[in-house]
Amino acid sequence: MARLNDDAQWIVLMGFLVSFSLFFLALIINQSTIVGQSTSESVIEFPKSDVRDISHVIKEHAGNNGEIDDRVYHDIINLSIKRKGAVVNYTLNTLHYQPFDYTHNYSLIHYNNGVTIYNENWTSQ
Amino acid sequence: MPDDRGTLSIDFLVGFTIFMLAFIWVAAMIPGVLLGMQSSTIDTEAVAYRTGVILTEDPGWPSSPPWEFKSDLQKYDISRFGLALSKDTPNILSREKINRFFCSSFTPEDYHVRAIFGEIPYHMNISITELNAGIGNSTGEIIPMDYSYGYIRRLAMIKGSSNATLNRSYYAAHRFNYTKTGPDFNVTRHEFSILINTTKLQGQMKNPAYQINPTRDRIMVNLTDLRATIFPAPAATPVDPDDVRIRLSNVKIMKLENTIPPSLSTVIADYDKAYINGGSSCAPPACIVEDNVSLVMEPSVFDLMGGTYSTVYINLTFDMEDIAGNPVKSSFLNNSCSRPFDYNYNPANVTQPQLSEAIVEVAIW
Amino acid sequence: MVNSGGQLYTIEGVAAGLIILVTAYLVLNTTTVYTAGDSHISDMQLEILGSDALKMMDTPLNSSVTESPLQQIVRNDDGFLFREMFMRYTNVSGFGPKHDIQFSASYTYESATDASINSVPLNASRNLTGGEHAVRVTKWVIVNKKLPSSAPSEDRAVLVEVLLWRD
Repeated sequence: MARLNDDAQWIVLMGFLVSFSLFFLALIINQSTIVGQSTSESVIEFPKSDVRDISHVIKEHAGNNGEIDDRVYHDIINLSIKRKGAVVNYTLNTLHYQPFDYTHNYSLIHYNNGVTIYNENWTSQ
Repeated sequence: MPDDRGTLSIDFLVGFTIFMLAFIWVAAMIPGVLLGMQSSTIDTEAVAYRTGVILTEDPGWPSSPPWEFKSDLQKYDISRFGLALSKDTPNILSREKINRFFCSSFTPEDYHVRAIFGEIPYHMNISITELNAGIGNSTGEIIPMDYSYGYIRRLAMIKGSSNATLNRSYYAAHRFNYTKTGPDFNVTRHEFSILINTTKLQGQMKNPAYQINPTRDRIMVNLTDLRATIFPAPAATPVDPDDVRIRLSNVKIMKLENTIPPSLSTVIADYDKAYINGGSSCAPPACIVEDNVSLVMEPSVFDLMGGTYSTVYINLTFDMEDIAGNPVKSSFLNNSCSRPFDYNYNPANVTQPQLSEAIVEVAIW
Repeated sequence: MVNSGGQLYTIEGVAAGLIILVTAYLVLNTTTVYTAGDSHISDMQLEILGSDALKMMDTPLNSSVTESPLQQIVRNDDGFLFREMFMRYTNVSGFGPKHDIQFSASYTYESATDASINSVPLNASRNLTGGEHAVRVTKWVIVNKKLPSSAPSEDRAVLVEVLLWRD
């Protein structure tokens, strides 16, 4: 059987060493850009302004009138699912506190876009 | 025999395969290892975004009493800067908070631990520019021209303060000029009171963006044309109206007592903040005033009184003198016989708070 | 007679082949999406600027005004006012990099007569060709309007949608 001639193995080893060090360097540099990118990705992904907007419009409309306008309710729910891909629902209860003649509106707002679920229990002042 | 220089032995192959597997495993764990590492250059955009959100959408902490009331000595009680009026009104900023935020007594370290956060000492520049006025405030270092920086631009509204300016015709229309005839034709001492009903102000307007809120925003009352209200009494030695001097003896915050008739008898506090007399600032107590007096009422005064005294009267006491300092009987601005001036939502009385557009810019590097 | 001289090379070859196969499988199985490294950052900034601008337009300047500029724009289909206000807010330059932002705005409503979803264009600074890398910002607005024009006038919730991109 032929004996292996391993004279040149160190060349191969050096080649590996160099390529591994390059690989590690590339990995570290790559990680550094990912940090800034993933932060802005999560900013884009989290529907903060959507949630704020929907809760704002519901409070402004239902909260001030003390009643849910049927037409506006269906507009919000149907447009949310069709244009924003989000399930939105809300209910409103009005409590009249007789001794002090206070009227409070309690609203439950639900938002779910498949990734983020948000529920708010809001009481008017 | 073949020339097999450079070929690898089977031992090497096995060893190398094991090594590769170990290597791949280690490489997969690299991100976890890097978690603990921090670098100041990589996440400036994220920090700028975060600072922008804190400034424009958060009212800061503590919230009651708000952080902007803290003096320089108490600044270690402030845990977070935030310029929004309330957490329900993002992008609507409080002028009081902005003025306090850009106060020169804060050091870069203060901004860093209360608005920027993180352990790396970033360089920063924060500026707020009003679109209509074209003027702005800014703090921090000069932005580098030669290398990149994290940057965010936010649009916001700044809530202006309300104010009331009373003049000659307003005095006449509301009988604020004391001109009783008869034996007590005129007096030497005159009282003018301003009613500030915080409960009512907060109840009539729920939206913080347009609310007149004496506990959070400064309110201002300008009394103009004061000399026009002077008609000296026909005394034995008449005094020329031009020679009558008006001394603002004191400004007191008073409470209405439930007596019959209701009387303004209880003094809650002396108002010891300076007021503007003509063009210059004048510190209480006694002060000779010219034609105009502006009373700028700091929100901290009302916030301290809190819920106990939510309806208060600001009582100004004027004494009439001649040049030698002797009391002179004269008519003057006086509403003790009519009604106190009500600081309310009526645009005829009070110029209502107005929002003005601004941009908030944060640069981090 | 069988010669065993070449056996080693065969095993090596087979092993190498297996490694290559495994590597190729790993590489091809990984989904790679090539985007410019910082595109997410500018998308984020654009989205924030756009939603801030819409929020500003939906805020009346004082309490005596009952209708916000955005409600007015939708009620009157006033695309010119929208363009003027929106461009003013998005292209205002502070010390930061100069913005060169294009937009295309519309509002969407649900028809009161047949429950279909309709979009009405408001204004656009440039037509979309499809090649732009745009972000979408939206704002809910309640207006008293006939939607569609054959329906009775009543309070309606409409969604103002703006596509934003840089040149």
